[in-house]
Amino acid sequence: MKNNKKIIIGAVILVALIAVFACVYKFNKPATKAGSKDVVIAVTGSDGQTTSYNLSTDAEYLIQAMDELVENGSGFTYSGTDGEYGMMVEYINDEKAIYAEDNAYWALYVNGEYGQYGADQQPVTSGDEYTWTYEKAQ
Amino acid sequence: MTGTKHRFSILDIAQAGIMVAVIEVSKMALSGMPNIELTSFWLIMFTLFFGWKIVVVVPAFILVEGAFYGMHLWWIMYLYAWPLLVLIVWLFRKNTSAIFWAIVSGTFGLMFGALCSIPYFVIGLSSGGVAAGLRSAFVWWTAGIPWDFIHCAGNFVIMLVLYRPISEAMKWISRERG
Repeated sequence: MKNNKKIIIGAVILVALIAVFACVYKFNKPATKAGSKDVVIAVTGSDGQTTSYNLSTDAEYLIQAMDELVENGSGFTYSGTDGEYGMMVEYINDEKAIYAEDNAYWALYVNGEYGQYGADQQPVTSGDEYTWTYEKAQ
Repeated sequence: MTGTKHRFSILDIAQAGIMVAVIEVSKMALSGMPNIELTSFWLIMFTLFFGWKIVVVVPAFILVEGAFYGMHLWWIMYLYAWPLLVLIVWLFRKNTSAIFWAIVSGTFGLMFGALCSIPYFVIGLSSGGVAAGLRSAFVWWTAGIPWDFIHCAGNFVIMLVLYRPISEAMKWISRERG
């Protein structure tokens, strides 16, 4: 009986938390805009050289824009693995930056500011510049 | 516990080592499935069935993780997230309901992102005050909420399915060891 009470209380708490989290996410998730956007995707490799790609896209998230860039023959390539918080980019333009192996990673900057999201959660806004930078861990 | 009371025997050390190995192997085996993990499950089961030895297993697991992958920001999160789970389990250790432990494990999975956002609050705090800290932690947490839902569902189902068979195995191990 006592155990049943604990289970019911626990279940109510869990359901309530799920509802609260869903509401928080619904009202605070990264906003996206549909429609044609002109953006720049840049890559700064370990040698410090930057290559920029201009793209007109309808992509809502950066990863979709990156896929378009790969497909349109620009020479841009990337790959990665799905991680705890979305896609972890490991290779860009054939340069590897795997944290566990290279003590380096691909950092995403949006208009020069350190990005708050991963590639699959970063909204695409017209006029923005998204820069992937090879960074060594401190 | 074998040997003299309150002293670590070789068997206890070996058992703690096997527990850490089981967690690590499970973690690596499921590494291709984001946020589906057995670490929560094993820590709950080990706390329930092997009692005080968990105070050795958790630090050892955290140190092994740090040694493997580097002691970076996520590692700070491990320092309090996993001990917190063990503490909660210890408080409710007399409960033997699979559903109860599925709820505990699911809730922990759901809260994991929120727990892990604490270092981002500290980083934001150091660069721009309390408001910046709260914003930084909040943005990080909300971006990961869909993954917290997966974590919650995964933990819940894993515990619901595995609790009974693994409980039986643990009881058998305890009986065999006397």
